[in-house]
Amino acid sequence: MRKSMFAVLAVIALLIAACGPSATPAPTTAPAAQPTTAAVSPTKPPAVPTTAPVAPTTAPTAAAVKINNPPASAAEVDAIVLAGKNVQVTYWHNRPQKDQDLLQSMLDEFNKSNPYGIKAKAEIAGSSYNDVYNKVNAALQANQPPEISVAYQNQAAFYRGQNAVIDLTPFVKSTKYGISDADMKDYIQTFLDSDKNPQFKNEVLGFPTQRSMEVMFVNLDALKKLGYDGAPKDWKTFEEAACKFAKDNPGKYGWDVGHDASRFAARIFARGGRILAPDGQSYVFNSQAGVDDLSMVARLLQNKCAVEIPTSESFGNQNRFGNGDLLMTMGSSSGLPFFQQAVDKGGKFKWDIALLPGADQPNAGMDLYGASVSVYKTTPEKELAAWLVIKFLGEKTQTTKWALATGYLPVRQSAKADVIAGFKADKTWGPVADSYAKMFDWTKYSLIESPVAGYDPVRLSLDKDVVTKLIQDPKSDVKALLDAAKASADKVLKENAPK
Amino acid sequence: MATQTARLGQTTAPSRSTSRRWRRLREVSLGYLLLAPALVLLIVFELFPVLYGFFISTCNWRLNCGENLERFIGFDNYVRAFTDPEMWTSLWTTAVYSLMSVPIQLGLGLLIAYLLFQDIRGKDVFRVMFFFPYITSTVASAAVWAYLYSPDRGLINAVARSLNLPILKWLGESKGIFELMAQGLGGTLPNALDGPPLALVALIIYTTWVFLGYDIAIFLAGLGNIPGELYDAAKVDGAAGWRLFRHITLPLLSPTTFFLLLLTVIGTFKAFNHIYVMTRGGPAGATETSSLYIFSQMFEYQRYGYSAALSFILFTVILIITIIQNRAAGSRVVYD
Repeated sequence: MRKSMFAVLAVIALLIAACGPSATPAPTTAPAAQPTTAAVSPTKPPAVPTTAPVAPTTAPTAAAVKINNPPASAAEVDAIVLAGKNVQVTYWHNRPQKDQDLLQSMLDEFNKSNPYGIKAKAEIAGSSYNDVYNKVNAALQANQPPEISVAYQNQAAFYRGQNAVIDLTPFVKSTKYGISDADMKDYIQTFLDSDKNPQFKNEVLGFPTQRSMEVMFVNLDALKKLGYDGAPKDWKTFEEAACKFAKDNPGKYGWDVGHDASRFAARIFARGGRILAPDGQSYVFNSQAGVDDLSMVARLLQNKCAVEIPTSESFGNQNRFGNGDLLMTMGSSSGLPFFQQAVDKGGKFKWDIALLPGADQPNAGMDLYGASVSVYKTTPEKELAAWLVIKFLGEKTQTTKWALATGYLPVRQSAKADVIAGFKADKTWGPVADSYAKMFDWTKYSLIESPVAGYDPVRLSLDKDVVTKLIQDPKSDVKALLDAAKASADKVLKENAPK
Repeated sequence: MATQTARLGQTTAPSRSTSRRWRRLREVSLGYLLLAPALVLLIVFELFPVLYGFFISTCNWRLNCGENLERFIGFDNYVRAFTDPEMWTSLWTTAVYSLMSVPIQLGLGLLIAYLLFQDIRGKDVFRVMFFFPYITSTVASAAVWAYLYSPDRGLINAVARSLNLPILKWLGESKGIFELMAQGLGGTLPNALDGPPLALVALIIYTTWVFLGYDIAIFLAGLGNIPGELYDAAKVDGAAGWRLFRHITLPLLSPTTFFLLLLTVIGTFKAFNHIYVMTRGGPAGATETSSLYIFSQMFEYQRYGYSAALSFILFTVILIITIIQNRAAGSRVVYD
């Protein structure tokens, strides 16, 4: 009897525990991974965009062409007939409700104006890129992907490895549905390059509708007080200024070490290093640039010139910078208005953004962020309809509206003047409009982190096995830390390589 | 009626047995029919997911097991898990977390419940206060505690600073607590004596704060079920204080203690939410318990098959521990 009571108790305990609060894993809200290695190509002068509407497919030639799924050539795309098919396109994204409303209003316009009867609708699929990533993965397992979704380049590469997203090259090159040469020239070239995937023979696995970049935020008043006339332009001056500030202001720091692989990648780029080899076959962050950077981080920490921002402190660098507790910090340019708000609420000093030290030197660069929009393998008709939606969102009018609403950079050079003028006239963006405008010139330095499948865990490893270990023990052998992380990153790369 | 009975009597033994069988079949069918809705729900929502999860664990599953099951790898994921040092580290971290949390939680819970069971002023207010963290959202309270633990901005270090106590990195410290103590005293310790990382201890403090109220509530219910006459009789025999507690309270509370022990051990082995919010397994993997490791393998590495195998391993570990606890504690539990 007693034994059976024990058994009953054990079963009850198991059941209660199974239903208990600790059993439910919280959804990942970890920051989304950032991109890759695209070669730096200088931005060419803006060209006049073509605005001519695309004629509906009547295609009598269609019958002669066999259309693969996905289409393998521009001719196959040309041969797809959309008229009368009433194709519906769903777009999964991670933007908040106000952006969803704007996006849907733009899509409503597309729905009214496109001659093929395509109906597009936007849906919020989560609050972060990772939310969308996880939702898409689940949808793919159920064989019910959306037609299009936002995806970082490395995430798109993972989908491609599973044969779930398509190469957009034939659609871009299509004479009927593609983008004209003039329009292509109007796109900011580095933005386009960032979606060419080295792991898949430079297939275009996504198309840009927005971008941002890693910039340095500097307290100009404090720098002036220390005897500098602007942001440091080399790492030696950077280190010197950080330590002077910390010395003169007890309890404050010259810089912060954040737990984010993108901060590390941005500094590597600015020092002329890379995260991934150009051929996408191995990680190279353990180069001299990596060693020099981590050695500097270790010195700054040991000399109490820099402070660690714990992962638990949300927007820690933004708030501390705003309060005047940090001389310099780094972050995404999409945070510009939030930095402005933090300074307005806190230290009320003069501040600006700048290139990371050395980022304008030969072979160096700026870390370019921004998820693109990928098209999932469904049917050729849906794939084409999805492409037409993306193409529409990339037009000057739409990209201008989107940049003005979100603070991202527009993808067209022709949008620059309108966006800057719009920012200046806007109450929220007005104070940061001049800083924002500078970034158009910086796009020529753009580099992306790693567009290969499996980059997300490598990012985590860079924080866990390199940055955190260095924070724990600033006397660590930085080369050994980097080499160990590189070895493990290469294993992940191999595991995710196209089979 | 008589004619009918006579006729039935004439149908001999086989027909009677057929009728009995038929009646029995009907009863059994009805039973199964009544059970069917529950059975269908159980099969669809309990059995099928478990079996499907097991199937996933036998595949090199990315988004599926591949066409024609070409990614079917049998027990390779299980073999990989047993040779994965990180899996063992996470299991060890889980065990340390459990071994430290459970005695503290149950010991403190029993002590406070015993105090609150006495006739003291304001005991109802205390009961509510202790229970409050349990009903608060884990995510919200964990976020608040993470801020309290903040090295240079948190309240805990602010108090320490005002009292001239050493400033600690709490959730950001992967060094062992004994190592830190030795460092504070100017000495060093061999690595084997470093002790659990401070970050893990900080998590245990939080866990105790949250679950103490629940333990107290259950212990109070258990204490309320002990007949007062037993105490009266013992007092007549000259027993008091510790003796009453040792010989009456503890034995008669043993079913409750045992129940809480099972529940708490299982809970600590599956702990996830607050660890994810407060440390995400950091610093440098110091608080990466099994649940977090499973989560990271699934959502960060997209190793769905491997993650499923790890889940089954964790389930087996919990089951074995529960059985051992059941056997070991069984003889010590008093039910009457």
